[in-house]
Amino acid sequence: MQSLRWAWGYIRKYKMRMFFGLALVLLVSTLNMANPYLAGRIVDDVIYGNNRSLLWPMLGLMVGCTVIRTIVRYGYQLMFENISQNVIFKMRENLFERLMGLDFSFYDRTKTGDIMARMTGDMEAIRHFTAWTIYMIVENVTIFIFAVTFMFSIHVPLTLAILVVTPIIGFFAFRLSNDVKPTFTEIRNQFAKLNSVVQENISGNRVVKAFAKENYEIEKFSNENETFRARNLQSARIWEKYLPVLDSLAGVLTVVMILTGGIMVINGSLTIGELVMFNSLIWALNNPIRSAGWLINDVQRFIASAEKVEELLLTKSQIINGNHQNVQEKQADIEFDHVYFSYGNGPALEDISFTAKPGQTIAIIGPTGSGKSTLVHLLNRFYDVTEGAIYVGGRNVKEWHLHQLRSSMGMVMQDIFLFSDTIEGNIAYGSPNASIEAVQIAAGQAEAHEFIASLPDGYDTIVGERGVGLSGGQKQRIALARALLKNPKVLILDDTTSSVDMETEERIQKTLNSIQEGKTCFIIAHRISSVKEADLILVLNNGRIIERGTHDQLLMQRGYYYNVFQNQYGNFDIHLMAGM
Amino acid sequence: MARNKFNVDEELETPFSIAHLKRLLVYVKPYKTKIMITVLIMLAASGANLIGPYLIKQAIDKEIPGKNIEGLAALSGIYLVALTVTGICMKFRIRMMSQIGHSVIKNIRRDLFTHLQKLSFSFFDSRPHGKILVRVVNYVNSLSDLLSNGLINLITDLFSLLVIIGFMFSINAKLTLFAMAGFPILALIIFLIKNAQRKAWQNLSNKQSNLNAYIHESINGIKVTQAFVREEENKKIFHGVSNGYKTSWLKAVRVHFLLWPAIENISVLTVTLIYVLGVGMIGNGITVGALVAFVGYIWMFWTPLANIGNFYNAIINASAYLERIFEMMDEKPEISDRPNAKELPIIKGKVEFDNVVFGYETTTRNLNQISFKANPGESIAIVGPTGAGKTTIVSLLSRFYDIGSGEIRIDDMNIETVTISSLRKQMGVMLQDPFIFSGTIIDNIRYGRLDASDEEVIAAAKAVQAHPFISQLKQGYYTEVNERGSVLSNGQRQLISFARALLADPKILILDEATSSIDTETELALQKGLETLLAGRTSFIIAHRLSTIQNASKILYIDKGMILEEGTHDELIRLRGLYWKLYSSYYSSLRAI
Repeated sequence: MQSLRWAWGYIRKYKMRMFFGLALVLLVSTLNMANPYLAGRIVDDVIYGNNRSLLWPMLGLMVGCTVIRTIVRYGYQLMFENISQNVIFKMRENLFERLMGLDFSFYDRTKTGDIMARMTGDMEAIRHFTAWTIYMIVENVTIFIFAVTFMFSIHVPLTLAILVVTPIIGFFAFRLSNDVKPTFTEIRNQFAKLNSVVQENISGNRVVKAFAKENYEIEKFSNENETFRARNLQSARIWEKYLPVLDSLAGVLTVVMILTGGIMVINGSLTIGELVMFNSLIWALNNPIRSAGWLINDVQRFIASAEKVEELLLTKSQIINGNHQNVQEKQADIEFDHVYFSYGNGPALEDISFTAKPGQTIAIIGPTGSGKSTLVHLLNRFYDVTEGAIYVGGRNVKEWHLHQLRSSMGMVMQDIFLFSDTIEGNIAYGSPNASIEAVQIAAGQAEAHEFIASLPDGYDTIVGERGVGLSGGQKQRIALARALLKNPKVLILDDTTSSVDMETEERIQKTLNSIQEGKTCFIIAHRISSVKEADLILVLNNGRIIERGTHDQLLMQRGYYYNVFQNQYGNFDIHLMAGM
Repeated sequence: MARNKFNVDEELETPFSIAHLKRLLVYVKPYKTKIMITVLIMLAASGANLIGPYLIKQAIDKEIPGKNIEGLAALSGIYLVALTVTGICMKFRIRMMSQIGHSVIKNIRRDLFTHLQKLSFSFFDSRPHGKILVRVVNYVNSLSDLLSNGLINLITDLFSLLVIIGFMFSINAKLTLFAMAGFPILALIIFLIKNAQRKAWQNLSNKQSNLNAYIHESINGIKVTQAFVREEENKKIFHGVSNGYKTSWLKAVRVHFLLWPAIENISVLTVTLIYVLGVGMIGNGITVGALVAFVGYIWMFWTPLANIGNFYNAIINASAYLERIFEMMDEKPEISDRPNAKELPIIKGKVEFDNVVFGYETTTRNLNQISFKANPGESIAIVGPTGAGKTTIVSLLSRFYDIGSGEIRIDDMNIETVTISSLRKQMGVMLQDPFIFSGTIIDNIRYGRLDASDEEVIAAAKAVQAHPFISQLKQGYYTEVNERGSVLSNGQRQLISFARALLADPKILILDEATSSIDTETELALQKGLETLLAGRTSFIIAHRLSTIQNASKILYIDKGMILEEGTHDELIRLRGLYWKLYSSYYSSLRAI
């Protein structure tokens, strides 16, 4: 019921059209009876009764009725399709909007395949329901009620006798409805799994091939594929249990009618003419009951899917938007004030405090998994701090409007993602209206212009989702250009030059220095050469700042940083030093 | 190859032909006995169904006026038996139909997926992944209705159509021929709308593919989207893509629904024709009774015909998906075993590149005359600017691409003469972009060698210095991770990926920027162990940090697809060439402080 109410929220907008459509459905149902009736009349009056003059008018009526009926039917079919497309269009849009707004922790725990299943398979079930099932239900219910009322008006006892069977039918329908629901939930869950296994196989195709694990992948997939079949068959087993029963019980109505009706006629409490009328109406009871089982299936399938879609729509982002939007303020001032953070399994950051002023560069260095990326992700509010506070432009990040906050920052993530679009489109991702000249300037600053220009299609080269077709260093530079084009007040480079050769890196650093005026820059790196010029170097270990200072200060401390320096430069080649 | 993106329809390379349907029938064939039995049972069921009206007629015409309650009860009894028979038949039909339908679907999907595994990188690289996904999952599902209900109904409908025509002929041949006058008109209409219909469904399948691609990419790129505040812009794009799907759906049904009005109107016109002719023929070749029987049949005649029309519609609809499915199945793997390919025996690890020339596209040259030799157990470091061709060289070794000219030999065997899987199984590759499957950490490492015991996995993790951080996690090796999750940092992913490559115990180990995101301390610890790890293996190391490559047996300096310098660290330093320059810039970057 809950799901129906939810769907109604979308359909309501079209309720007038829906009712009009349903009225047309009933009109067509009525017109449906015209042809058999006219055919009967022709046989009785024209052929047997030899009244030839009636032939032409009756044929004309027949053709006319059919033409009108088919046109009206075509019209309402399109109308329902239209409504259902509008409904799911709106739902899809709401879903997409939700997806855009959900926070990182949602994406950290949710598989792509699972979201895809909701956006495709579940939407299809909802489409089927709104385009078809709803009006079928209304049509059947209306016909049933219409026939019962008519029967009551003819003969109450016989009608009651026939209706005695209906509670039994209701019982089975109820059982079907209950039993079939979980099977549809399982089908759609398995559909999501199937989606996931195929999706990951496609995304990980390089690993699969590198390890020659095709057979293992096929086996993994076949399990899910077989289970998907099994889940469908499991559902069919419920259908085969109840649908024939409902179908046969619909026929039992006819038997009850002819038996009790016959006895009543023999007793004289019913005329034969009345029984014939009952007989001509009985289809109006039979058919809805026959369809009931299939419609129940459709409804339950819809509910199983709708629940999942609704669940996604109701998923709340843990990041609550602030409303501060003042553009004038200095946004390059940053302060971490005793920040603690946890992903849920143990602390990821503990007691982080530091300040950064416009024009300064903050470098973060430390072992793998020490919390470097986490620290900068908090700055953008991809996650919220567990304790403490972060101030940007003197204001707690939680007060900022997210768009305002994030717009002021340009970030190059460690795991580079490029969209399947042209290189130009990828660089302009954060500034869709940028001119090609601006794109080229940003690419030049990121030392990417040269290699892009040397590609046969230049900036129009289309790259794949993970940027395949480009080397690691090239992807990093495109991502850097993307961040630079935004001309952000805070530039965050998370391991951005790890795959770039030393010379290029040096050139990039020079450029960054020259455009850094008024910007705060965060650099996460492992190479001493990348961090040595920073105004403040933070050494993170196990989520804590264990050393802080400039390059020289840290060298003097003879701690972790000094060791890293020694490791990278300490055993430097004697020949070379002699040669310089 | 031109790459495709989400908002570009894919061009269809092979037009639809009847051959596609024949191919579909190949999948149906194994179930032909089941189908035939089901058809027989359905005919039996319709027989039982037909008894109903006859029994009622008997009751109203005979038993009730005759006040024969026993007779009435007997008829009711027969009716109940008939209903039970119909019920049982229906049960059987539901079972069979779902079994056949879902088995065929399963098999098509299995074949498609299996074929997908054979396709090379370039197939995956040249289109959005969402477009591949939609074919394997959604398109195949779209066939289910056609395969389960459609096929069996078609057979029974054809059968009843023949029976009815038979009856009509037995009454009056001339009228029967007139009754069929509607056929050519119907055929003409079908022919007229066919192209529009095909185009509309094809268009829809394209739009569905685009929509999927965009959703898929939006999910995978969400972090960038949020970081760059592109949500509003993306919503607009999504609006457009989603609207494209909606519009093409509505366009498709507009044509699709035309068939039924056509059939119904033609049928009523034919019936009219028969009435006119029939009434005129009374006493002149036809009796009144016969005419009544004939017009009775002619109404029945159009019902199966409408069903067949329905089936036809379903086929036209499904063919838009079918052609895409078969197109993918027909996609030729660019890299495949030669017909006489041998298994590569257990190798020692000698690697030779002999004048190798290679371009990713026919018009470009990414590697030029690459020649070098690595003896078993040697480590080869490859250095050079980004985009020089370092990753390309090692990709060729695994035969991810085939070379243009020259030869690559392992243990003196041309790698193109051995089977791909026997070649790749002996190599451990750590790719630049570490990929993590959803599942536990232990399973991700075990991917390198599926039969490895837990102890072996842990030993590999220890060897690459991944053990400390894994054991710090709450669930240790059984921690669930996924493709995008933040449970692991990039450096940690690299370590896992490294452990995975090592676990495969390969004779040739390829480390492509294996440690770029790993801190120096871990890297050093790793390097201390690396000597033992590399012992007995030929290794290829691509790195930018010089500390990683100094100890290599041989260093190749690559730029613009050519080997410009080759030698040991000491030799290259003495040469005072490009490597020396690289090395000294490393030094000067330090001195500049």
